[in-house]
Amino acid sequence: MRLLEFYARNAREALGLAGEHLVLVGVSTIVAIALGVPLGVLLTRRPGWRRAVLGLVNVVQTIPSLALFGFLIPLPLLGGIGARTAIVALVLYALLPVVRNTYAGIAAVEPAIREAGRGMGMTDGELLRMVELPLAAGVILAGIRIATVVGVGVATIAAAVGAGGLGVYIFRGVATVDNTLILAGALPAALMALTADAALGALERRLGPRGR
Amino acid sequence: MRPRAGALALVSALLAGGSCVRGDRVVVGAKNFTESDLLAEIAAQQIARRTRLPVERRLHLGGTFVCQAAITSGQIDAYVEYTGTAYTAILKHPAIADPDSVAHAVRDEYRRRFALEWLPSFGFDNTFAIIVRRADATREHLRTISDLARVAPRWNAAFGFEFLERPDGFAGLARLYGLRFAAPPNAMDLGLTYRALAQGRADVIAGNSTDGTIEALGLVVLADDRHYFPPYEAAPVVRADLLRRHPEVRAALEELGGKISDAEMRRLNALVDVEHRDLAVVAREWLASNVP
Repeated sequence: MRLLEFYARNAREALGLAGEHLVLVGVSTIVAIALGVPLGVLLTRRPGWRRAVLGLVNVVQTIPSLALFGFLIPLPLLGGIGARTAIVALVLYALLPVVRNTYAGIAAVEPAIREAGRGMGMTDGELLRMVELPLAAGVILAGIRIATVVGVGVATIAAAVGAGGLGVYIFRGVATVDNTLILAGALPAALMALTADAALGALERRLGPRGR
Repeated sequence: MRPRAGALALVSALLAGGSCVRGDRVVVGAKNFTESDLLAEIAAQQIARRTRLPVERRLHLGGTFVCQAAITSGQIDAYVEYTGTAYTAILKHPAIADPDSVAHAVRDEYRRRFALEWLPSFGFDNTFAIIVRRADATREHLRTISDLARVAPRWNAAFGFEFLERPDGFAGLARLYGLRFAAPPNAMDLGLTYRALAQGRADVIAGNSTDGTIEALGLVVLADDRHYFPPYEAAPVVRADLLRRHPEVRAALEELGGKISDAEMRRLNALVDVEHRDLAVVAREWLASNVP
């Protein structure tokens, strides 16, 4: 009840923060896809790089967010205070599931299918576009889904570098021991994560390998 | 033979204990930050070397409310609290800036409501501090927050969420000093504001005046020349029943009164936070040279 009153009094601010949150998650997920899918494809072509690259994105995942922000603030182009630093951190956190699933999805394509494509005279690019990526789409999308859902949660810490988002309510609530404020940030973030999960899950089922 | 030995031990324990409920030991607690741990360790060592009582430590407990619950329920016998925190957070009074009335009110109400005693304060005031880079302060001739108001419209501020929300935080400060920055202050994590300031990503932050990292990062505290911030003088809070049973504890802790200045507390915090020295060693060395 106190929560509803809070939203009624602060509707404009709450909507603004939710909007910032969506932008943080949206932009960082798109950048993570733009970087992570090609990187995953590259790993299937250069198996020697696999351990180093997957190891690196794994390690990034284990750095606590406040420590990562601490490293990023001094950096000239990527760092500073505000949304840019937060998005860089979110992209780094989102890379692991995208890269790993892209690699795993393509690596799981049966060699016989690939050979059939080659036998028909496909180039490497054609094979990727017309055989491997379509077959791996379901697995890649599953990785994007994980990255998005995790991103909604992780984006609450963007408030720690002045990037706004729903984390502002959570941080304020923690600083002033105010449970209503904490819930005002945490509940909509949870709803957002569930919605993103359901929507991407539906898409995944439609794109998934047919006839299985 | 065994039951008789047990009964003997029980009788002798009752005789030795007298009115003592929980056995002859003192439990010293602390809140969850370096300064609180360090002062508790100093108090614990001081009690141990001046009295014959065994001392137990329960350092780094949650925050103010955990320590308050622990000491009123007798889980701990003593911890270090700040007058301003007790006045606003525990006694729920609106913040006021006069150190003497805060200290008096806190002492009286604690004795009456909680049977807790405030002993003499350590001598420093860990209040909010408005902090800038030393180079900027020198160039712009800044010594006080009033001086800051002059250059603020060209500068950017970054504050922790607590400072922006608290009744004795930013809103009142800006009103009293007429502070206006180039943009509304950035709200961010308190620990990261120090880094943002040191790296030139912000020009003004609000920290704690006894923070050990201030000098290490080349920063300075501006004087609160119009006395906006309430006093946060640190002092041991001790259960009255312990002091009645063992007056020597009071005598031991009173020796620490007035012994630590703001600068000295910053130096001690820096030994632990910046130079990563062992807390117990820092406490022992400080006691050896300052309370012989």
